Amino acid sequence: MNALLKATRLTKRYDGRGGCVDIDLEVYPGEVLCIVGESGSGKSTLLNALALRSEIDGGALTYTTREGEALDLSTLAEARKRLLSRTEWGFVHQNARDGLRRNVSAGANIGEPLMAIGARHYGRLRETAADWMSRVELDAARIDELPSAFSGGMQQRLQIARNLVTGPRLVFMDEPTAGLDVSVQARLLDLLRTLTSKLHLAAVIVTHDIGVARLLAHRLMVMKDGRVVESGLTDQVLDDPQHPYTQTLVASVLPV
Amino acid sequence: MTMNAFVTNDTLMLQARGIEKTFTLHQQGGVRIAALSGVSLDVERGECVVLAGASGAGKSTFLRCMYGNYLATRGTIAIRDDSRASRHVVLTEAAPHEIIRLRNTTMGYVSQFLRAIPRVSSLDLVAEPLVSRGVDEDEARARACALLERLNVPRRLWALAPATFSGGEQQRVNIARGLIAAHPLLLLDEPTASLDAENRDVVADLIVEARERGAAIVGIFHDEDTRERVATRIVRLASAGGASVQTDSGVWQTC
Repeated sequence: MNALLKATRLTKRYDGRGGCVDIDLEVYPGEVLCIVGESGSGKSTLLNALALRSEIDGGALTYTTREGEALDLSTLAEARKRLLSRTEWGFVHQNARDGLRRNVSAGANIGEPLMAIGARHYGRLRETAADWMSRVELDAARIDELPSAFSGGMQQRLQIARNLVTGPRLVFMDEPTAGLDVSVQARLLDLLRTLTSKLHLAAVIVTHDIGVARLLAHRLMVMKDGRVVESGLTDQVLDDPQHPYTQTLVASVLPV
Repeated sequence: MTMNAFVTNDTLMLQARGIEKTFTLHQQGGVRIAALSGVSLDVERGECVVLAGASGAGKSTFLRCMYGNYLATRGTIAIRDDSRASRHVVLTEAAPHEIIRLRNTTMGYVSQFLRAIPRVSSLDLVAEPLVSRGVDEDEARARACALLERLNVPRRLWALAPATFSGGEQQRVNIARGLIAAHPLLLLDEPTASLDAENRDVVADLIVEARERGAAIVGIFHDEDTRERVATRIVRLASAGGASVQTDSGVWQTC
């Protein structure tokens, strides 16, 4: 099996320091990778670099497409990058408002990514949007309402539907459950767990919440000060942490 | 180590050589705890190897190393994988996605306690290992029902998440989840610990059936009767390192 996404010594610096340094990672089809670490550890910087949302300063980044073509992402033309992020990738922001268009309806928010790749048939777009609303447990009868009419947790589910409607193979998520009430968070986690497994979706998820990682991830990467200090199978890293920082992190989780 | 034993011996499922495990507790001044020192074991199809030894001898630690849940500090563990020419994967050197695949296709593990996925029904928890192996959902559910029935888990609990169940009920859900996929290699960490005599018998029956079907089994059973019924071989782990603590200064103390 070939890796979907592969980074080698990936580096992204801000003002010549900080950021993330010498990151090696591979994501395989259907695999959920969580990047954990405290604020400022470089995990969001890494996510944005992987998803081509910011220029990388060093290292190699390759992606293998549906057709089996290995793309060197650091030299990829802008147009091809845009196509990639429309057809093969998704990006779920921490704040739903950053990932949704506020002035169009829920249905249009879901239909828009399909139109961007050529769908034009209004009836079918509407049908697909309604179907995706149900799949993320939203009332399809509210298809014409604006995102602002939905609660925070619902907006996040709407954003997820908008990202998955094009059938991506890889989804990047930046703290998808942060800032939500615990009960709302739980429901979203269930949804993410079910969707990633049923759709055989690969995901790179940034979170500071070990519980989220334990539930969703096949694999974990622990970051500190811009570097990966430990990585491995989720249950192995959490049950037998090797690095002093990971041991502190795991020991800090309150048992429920 | 002669790893081609997997080619020459069709029945070999697991080979562990010189497994050492030392825990380093960085939060506690770098104290090192030696849990295993040089354990080797071959397990073949149709065998049920029972690990014995005093508490702290490293029995659970060894099982967890064989499942890839703990990293062995030294030594190698190889698991049969007929999809390769070499007929095995060296677990102790395998990439995470390889270990996930082995867990899916080859090795099952029953922990001492159920680590439930919150809000997922018992029935779905038990059916999941089959679904993730590509079995049709209805068939997976039907087989999960049959197994829960056999383990005397009351039908009214099947649709509920096991968080509120009694210890024995949780453990039976855990056992059902561990056994349903009929993995050719089973690692069982005290599966009968919190069960009453009747349910212990059911579990012992299931284990014997798995063994007779050709599964290779390594387990820990404190209950004498169960051990008698399931074991084909008993391997005693000496608590050589188990009771020793080494501080960073390199001085060995005995607790």
